[in-house]
Amino acid sequence: MDDPKVYLEKLTAFSRMLRLEGLALSPKETEDAAKLLTELGMGDRKAVKTALRTVYAKSREEQIAFDRCFDAFFLSEEAMRKQAQEQAQREQELEENRRQAQEELQLAGKPMDLSEKQRETYAAMPEEARQRLRNFMDKYRGSAERNPKLYSEFIHSVFTRTLLEQQMLLENAGLGGEAADPDIGILYRDISDFRDTEIPKAIELIQAVARQINGELAAKRRSGGHGGKLDFRRTIRKGLETGGSLHRLKFRRKPRRRKHLVMLCDVSGSMVQFSEFALRFIQSLGEAADSSRTFLFSETMVEADAFQLQNMDRFRSYVKETGIYGRGTDLGTALQELCSLRPPVLTAGSTLLILSDTKTIDFPRAMGALAEAKRLAGRVIFLNPIPEKNWQYVRTIQATAELVPMIPCSTLRELAAACRRL
Amino acid sequence: MNINEMKAKMTQAGYVYDDTLATTLYVALQLGRPLLIEGAAGVGKTEIAKVMASVLDRDLVRLQCYEGLDESKALYEWNYQKQLLAIQLGKEESSLFGEAYLLERPLLKSIRSEKPVVLLIDEIDKSDEEFEAFLLELLSEMQISIPELGTVRAKTVPFVVLTSNRARPLSEALRRRCAYLYMEYPDVEKELAILRVKLPHIDDRLAGQVALAVHALRDSDTILKKPSIAETLDWAAALDALGKRELTPDALRQTAGFVLKNNEDLAGLDCEDLSRKACCGTCGEESHPCEGHCHG
Repeated sequence: MDDPKVYLEKLTAFSRMLRLEGLALSPKETEDAAKLLTELGMGDRKAVKTALRTVYAKSREEQIAFDRCFDAFFLSEEAMRKQAQEQAQREQELEENRRQAQEELQLAGKPMDLSEKQRETYAAMPEEARQRLRNFMDKYRGSAERNPKLYSEFIHSVFTRTLLEQQMLLENAGLGGEAADPDIGILYRDISDFRDTEIPKAIELIQAVARQINGELAAKRRSGGHGGKLDFRRTIRKGLETGGSLHRLKFRRKPRRRKHLVMLCDVSGSMVQFSEFALRFIQSLGEAADSSRTFLFSETMVEADAFQLQNMDRFRSYVKETGIYGRGTDLGTALQELCSLRPPVLTAGSTLLILSDTKTIDFPRAMGALAEAKRLAGRVIFLNPIPEKNWQYVRTIQATAELVPMIPCSTLRELAAACRRL
Repeated sequence: MNINEMKAKMTQAGYVYDDTLATTLYVALQLGRPLLIEGAAGVGKTEIAKVMASVLDRDLVRLQCYEGLDESKALYEWNYQKQLLAIQLGKEESSLFGEAYLLERPLLKSIRSEKPVVLLIDEIDKSDEEFEAFLLELLSEMQISIPELGTVRAKTVPFVVLTSNRARPLSEALRRRCAYLYMEYPDVEKELAILRVKLPHIDDRLAGQVALAVHALRDSDTILKKPSIAETLDWAAALDALGKRELTPDALRQTAGFVLKNNEDLAGLDCEDLSRKACCGTCGEESHPCEGHCHG
């Protein structure tokens, strides 16, 4: 097997598999890998794995995805036999589950109105989850005789929602392993998954990244062009460095438009950790805005001062003292209060940042209030801690994203990227 | 140079490596790609560049990155004083922007060197994103553009090593141009091997206990700043200098400052427990009979 073409064919298929796993590969990597395999041969599996990993994977996260693909693609003989056996067993089980699902997914003797994908999801669900749904059906079977139409619609809606949630879980399967891996940079992990011991490290990281973004924003402002008029005084002063000859002309700077940031943060139970990090991050960005005001809300809204945001413990105790911690979310009320504040907080020169997952009571009212806030503020941006791939399953997110720009912020990396856009 | 020759030279240079590291270095060398090394602070990323300079018998050119690093510090600068003097003396027979007025900085020096060098771009994550973008031309084409001079192509191709502590994510464009290596803290065996190579005069049992203790500290969730390999070596050397032959709680208390570098970590250190863990790990070995120091 010394012909590189043989390797090239196999490696092209392997590269395709890696691309499906999310690795951005060019043909150059495949070419390099073929060159290496020609030299190393396939004798030492471990050396081949290391060599190909060096070429293909460009981060710790990619290395983990690479290892998974390599083990699946370049199987040892023993693994191949084992896998074939397991696959046959799995197919058999799935077939049995499908047959059972056909019998179970019936309402009043007729098959339920579910898509093929939903039926497949039901068949792949663990037995306990299926049992829960069956019990649910049995529990309300009595009402089927009184109002068969209502019963059938109710059961159908419960099934559809459960199957959607299950579908989301299945699509996220395997991601948990990566999130639990301590080697995965804290930048790439879900903020709500941080352990207490990781918080100091995360804060340190936030400070470093915020410092960097501040530097970038300041540099951007400096190089943002000039006002067009020559600044004689600075030109002559600069000329003194080069013996009086005016090498570099200095121009008057453009007058700066002052930026005002208004932050509205959801601190209801599930959101508090995300809000803490996001607020700390944005507060550290001195260059992002000239002034800022922060409002916290759950069922009611309160204003927080910068002093309360300096320290995690102080922030938590402040949130608890105000009585908004651990309550439900009412985005509509918070936005209405914000819009009605006098003197007005939302003006044409202000940017309203909403940190929330859009899950709120009375969603239509919240949408109305959001439209009003959008009319009053110069810009409205929604920072959402739910990973973007799961947005399709949450109807409120889709509706909100149609109204205002929404940026995913489930990890510190995404949060940093969002802050760069402020 | 084949991989076995490279391994032999690394051993000769007193460097302790594993197969993964050796293969990765060999692959980067063979493909002529820059090597991007990521990992926590103190795992030995910078050391790799030094060892490669020794293995390849090349000079090491180092560029330490920091916030605000720009091309005048990294690539080149015009010698303004010399240019002014030339103007005042009326000596500007040729262009003022010629080689005579060029001050080479590490990047330019590495590609204009007559003999190939090893170029270490240390802590690239500390530099700004603009600087990262500026490096792309050098890393992929081995050339750089100086507006006044034109394109400067590499006379010799340096072996480039970039290191990052992952303080911020690097751009995809930079990653794609490099071979990648992620370094973790060494396991107990490797740490012990490093201690034996770097401090051959140290008692073997003490070295074993130090390796175990450092491993326990790194595994602990309560330690904020994990000890680096250099700190392990410093600690072992300090214990040896004090004439300690065993890692007793007292010895630990006296020398903890060599391995833990912040107050919270030192305050939370349980010397008895750590000493027990370290000593009992080596007690079972026949060559290291237990002296019963911490069993009651």
